[in-house]
This record gives sequence, C-alpha cells and structure tokens, in this order.
Amino acid sequence: MRKESMILKGNSLSLLNEFELILESDPLIDEVGFIHPSQFVTLNKEASSSLEHEDANFWSRDHKLAISTDVLLPLYKEVKDVFMHAISQYKRHENLSDASWDEGNLESEVMKHSKALLLLSCDFGTAWNFRKLIVSKKQHMLIFLDELFLSALVLSYSPKSEKAWCHRRWVIKMIAGKCSTMQDIVGKESELVEKIAERSKMNYRAWNHRCWLVSYMTTEQVLHELKKSRNWAGLHVADNSCFHYRTRLMLRIREDHCHKLEDGTSDGNDEIYRIWQEELDWNEALIKCYVGREALWLHRRFLVFSWIRHFTTNLGDTSNYRVCKSSINADIGIFMDNELHLANSCSTIPDNEFEDFQAQAIYSATYILWLTKQISDSQGIELQEKPNLGSLKTVLNMACPERSFLSDISTGITGKCDEGLKENRYLLR
Amino acid sequence: MGELVVDKHVKYILSVEKRKDSFESVVLEHLRMNGAYWGLATLDLLGKLDALDSNEVIEWIMKCQHESGGFAGNIGHDPHMLYTLSAVQVLALFDKLNVLDADKVANYISGLQNEDGSFSGDEWGEVDSRFSYLAICCLSILHRLDKINMEKAVNYIASCKNVDGGFGCTPGGESHAGQIFCCVGALAITGSLHHVDKDLLGWWLCERQVKSGGLNGRPEKLPDVCYSWWVLSSLIMIDRVHWINKDKLVKFILNCQDTENGGISDRPEDAVDVYHTYFGVAGLSLLEYPGLKAIDPAHALPVDVVNRIFFQK
Repeated sequence: MRKESMILKGNSLSLLNEFELILESDPLIDEVGFIHPSQFVTLNKEASSSLEHEDANFWSRDHKLAISTDVLLPLYKEVKDVFMHAISQYKRHENLSDASWDEGNLESEVMKHSKALLLLSCDFGTAWNFRKLIVSKKQHMLIFLDELFLSALVLSYSPKSEKAWCHRRWVIKMIAGKCSTMQDIVGKESELVEKIAERSKMNYRAWNHRCWLVSYMTTEQVLHELKKSRNWAGLHVADNSCFHYRTRLMLRIREDHCHKLEDGTSDGNDEIYRIWQEELDWNEALIKCYVGREALWLHRRFLVFSWIRHFTTNLGDTSNYRVCKSSINADIGIFMDNELHLANSCSTIPDNEFEDFQAQAIYSATYILWLTKQISDSQGIELQEKPNLGSLKTVLNMACPERSFLSDISTGITGKCDEGLKENRYLLR
Repeated sequence: MGELVVDKHVKYILSVEKRKDSFESVVLEHLRMNGAYWGLATLDLLGKLDALDSNEVIEWIMKCQHESGGFAGNIGHDPHMLYTLSAVQVLALFDKLNVLDADKVANYISGLQNEDGSFSGDEWGEVDSRFSYLAICCLSILHRLDKINMEKAVNYIASCKNVDGGFGCTPGGESHAGQIFCCVGALAITGSLHHVDKDLLGWWLCERQVKSGGLNGRPEKLPDVCYSWWVLSSLIMIDRVHWINKDKLVKFILNCQDTENGGISDRPEDAVDVYHTYFGVAGLSLLEYPGLKAIDPAHALPVDVVNRIFFQK
C-alpha cells in the first residue's frame, strides 16, 4: 500500500518502460512470478548480491523474473492502456490499407505490449488474438516457435491458463504438415505437460492438452508415452488425469490395432491382450499398495470393462458364434471371480477404523456393483453365476449410508442377474 | 443450520461493480460480460433484479457487440462465443431481446460451426464441446436453431462421450462435471438425450458427492460450490437427482456463505466471489430452497424467463 500511494500517473509509465526493457534485454526469461517486496531481500541474499536495492519493483537473474506485488495494479493499468491504444492504431491503418503506414513498427508495438500484458493477465484473449493475427502473416517457423516459448512463460506463473494452452494448439495446427520436426515438437509438448503437472496437481487443462496431442502421435510415440507415463502415474496415484491419459493412449493403440486387423496386417489379439493384462496387474498392485485411492479403482473399471467389450465385440458373427459366446461367457465368469476375490480382500475394515481402509472398502464394493451392472446391461454378455453381493452390500450400508442410489441399483442388478442366469443355463444345454 | 442471507448477497453483488481498487478485481475485466450474467442472474433468482438500472446495463452490453454479430467480454475486446451467450442471457433476464438483431447474432454463431459438427469459440478455431452448448443454448433463446446443422452438432457431442458415461472437451478428453453439464444441456435442448447412458452417467455424477455433502467436479478433487450447479443440473436433466443427498448439499452451500458481508465462496471459510455466489444460489434454486425463483437446468435462466421466451411469442 505504501508504494501504491506513491505511484502517480507519470510514474506508472516509467514503471512500464522498466518492465519492457527487462523483457527486451533478456528474451530468454523462462519463469515469472509475483512476489511480496519483502521477498526481494531474500532473493538478493541467496544470489549474494548487493546490486539490487530493497525498494526495487522487479528482480531478474538467470532468466527468472519476479514482479513486486506492490506495482501490479498501476503496471497492469498502464500496459492495458498502451496495448489498447496500439491495437486501435493497428486496426485503423489496416482498414485504410494505407501504403505509407509503418506496418513493421505498429506490429512490433502490438507484439511488445501484448507480451507485457499477458505476463500480468494470462487470459486476456484479445492480446493472444492480435499475436495470432500478426504471426500468421509472417508464416515463419522461428516466430511460431517463439509463441510456444511465450505461452510456456505465461504457464510458469499461471499453469491453468486456458488461453495459453489454447495458443499452443493454434501454433501446432499452423505448423503441422509444414514442419519436418513435428514428432520432436509433440514429444517436447508432452514433456512440458509433465513438468507443469508436477507443480500443479490435477491440472485438467494441462492433461487435456496432452490428450489432444495423441492424435498427432505416431504409433511408436503412443507406445513410448504409455511406457513413460507409467512411472509418473505410479508416483501420483491420486491424479485421475494421468490415468485418463493412459486410457486415451490405450484406446488409440486398440484403434490402430483394429485397423491392422481390417487390413489383414495383423491377425491376433496378442499384443492388445498383453498390454491390457500388464495394466491390470500393475493396477492391482497399486490398489493393494495405496489404500483407498478413488482414481485407481476408476481406472480399473475402464480396464476391465473395455477388455470385456473388446473381446466380445471382436468375436463378430462367425459360424461358431454360439460356441464362442458360451466360452467367452465362461471366461468372463472366471474373470469376474478374480475381480470378486480382489474386491473381497479389500473390503475388510480393521477395528481401528482408519479412514483409508473405509474408503478402500467402499471403492471395492462399488467397483463390483458397477461392473456387474455394466455387464448385465450389455447385450450379448451373460454372467454365468450370480456374484455374491451380500457381503459387499453390507459394507456399503455400513460405511456409506449417503450412497442411497447404490442400493437402488443393486436391487435392480440382482433381479437381472437371476434372469441372465436362467437364460444362460438354457443356452449351455 | 444457518439460512440464506438474501439481503447481504444482494448488497454484495451490487458492491462488486464498484470495486476497482485491487489488482485481483481489475485483472478480470476481459470477462466482465460473464460477471454481469452471474451477478444479474443471482439478483433475479433472489427476486431483486430491480435493484439496479437496466438501461445502463443494456447500453453497455450493446457497446460490446462486434460488427460480426458476436459479443466481447468488455468494450474494445474481441468477440467470443463465451460472452455472446452471457450477453443474450442478460438481455433475456431484462426482457429486452428485442434490442438485438437476432439474425446477425445467429449468423455469427452458425459461422463458427465446423464441418464435423463441432463449434469453434471464435474465429481462431479452438474447438470444445462447451462451445457446442454455448451455440445451441444461444440459438435456442433466439429461436434460430434452424441456422445450424443440428444432426452433425449432436453427433459431435455424442462423440465426446467416455466409457464412464461422462463427457470431455473433445473426443477422448477426460470427463469433467462442467463439460458434462454442457453436453447434457445441449442434448436436452435439442431433444437428443437418448445419446446419454443415464444410469451410468448418473452413477458417476453421484460419486461426486463427498462426505461433507459438497460435490466435486472430478474424482479425488475437493468439493466446490460451483459443482452444485454443474452436477445437479445434469442429474435433473437425466432424471437421477433423487440419487444424491440433497439435505447435506444444502447445508454445504449455506456453510460457504459470508454471513457478515454477503457472497458465497468455493468452500467454507474461503474468500467469496460473484462466480461462486451465482452457482451457490443457482444450486439452492435447483434444490427447491424456499424463497428462490426456480431455474431452468438447461438454459441456466429462471423458469419464468424461459417461459416468457418460449410461450409468449
């Protein structure tokens, strides 16, 4: 407050000049943050320097930039005014298509002020848009890559900035097809997401960007990403977004595989079977190691259900359909037995009533209910034996009275299973 | 349990506009149009829309319209679908849709539909199922749904569906309660809810309720008042709202009020803002809290406003 009251109109312009000079003199700044002025002292001590004085507005060294929270308001107001002025001039001259106007100068003004503005207001859409407009006129690879760099700088202080992520996708769409290093760029994008996800937990925008990249990946890259993200996921078992990313990768692998089957370049399900089996085993190990993690159980729902669906739909209308169908149904029966066994082993709540164990019991019971319902709702799959839901229902009623919808559903399922069971016996005889 | 402090919330909303003295408030000026919708819709639900001068608001809104027909978040900014829907919604609240050239706005929106049926948010081409909702909701209010290829629009939304029954930003994107609201809302408006697996999605949505009674937007996340709207409205549209514990949710929202100065926050004891104030009040309206106007879960406008649009032509 002390400083804010001291800053008059004239001062805010010199503040902006100081800010833009720092940005120009070091184009490699890769991290920016807002800090309280008292922290400048600490920064200077750490850097063992006496160069900066205590009442500085900015601090910059080793390509890192700190802005004092005392100057944010006057600096923002000033930079917004000069940016709005610059774009109105730019628009005016563009409309006149006046040959005498100094296009280069107006453009560089817009580029300079929009950068300063975006470092204070990450989702100022108009500033991003004018950069897109100017950059698309140049169609120059290095300038496109500069935009990726600026977006990463904005994400360093605002990792959830929707517009900064969107700007990256725009750049990538612009250079896709024109660029021989596309695979490298996609690989680097994926690394950036991982770096940001490390500091900014469960960041939907970041992971969504990584999912979006999958359609630009080669089959080899997809396999590599699946391998690489496994380690990260194992260390962040509560981050549902990373498991969803694996879902996306696995579905892409299955898609590629189905194309191969159609082309006749592959004739077996071995690879898919191996990938799914490995993921199931790994997931089971994580569930037993990290007790009570919702994301792990939800990932298992996906794995099991998509596995069953894949092997039943790929059966097709072959001549020995009935035989296959009953053998698949038998396989599913065995499979379900294993899942029930896992769920039962996770549903004991020790006397000391740790919250995690209670959560584990609930997740395991709802998992089985979910699976049973999905299977009994699916056409063409019948459960050979009615799973014994009795003990699991007791767990749910005891531990989770607010999940009233589950008892609604489980009553429905038990009824359906009985019907399925009768039908199935008939089929087998 | 405390009650909804209606008068304090009204006072809070009216004061937000006047606060220009902090970085945190001025730095959001690019989305003032959304702020206007959140604030004014809250006032209307509380029955206090007449607490401010509508002419002033309408004059400002029309200054935000771009020559393309779309609206910007503030004067001098670029247009975007996000602000276009908010502008149209606010005009609807004031029963002033007649000041609009509806065809011009509709042309802006239909011009943003892509070949695959999806919508871009603006001329720069970012695609998101949220933009499909914005387009469809806006055109529905303007009686101009015939301007787009509806079949393709619906099929694109359906292609964003996941194995868990939820919806993401684009095909293969992670399920998120906010995205689910957009997709279910758009499907509801276009009469295409048969694309939703109601039991499966209802299950996922009900699992968003945590022990405190609040709702989160994704697995493993903390509860947040805004999901009272996104999750509840979706559950109502797919007819599964009886699956959650309503009393606990009401209690959670009321606990997020600032009972001294008004406003509602994301979680108890946090700082309030106009966004969460709107979603808290809208959530309570869906929960039939006494004294509040009823809200339409798909158009996100009070039911009397929606009735006026569709039945008094």
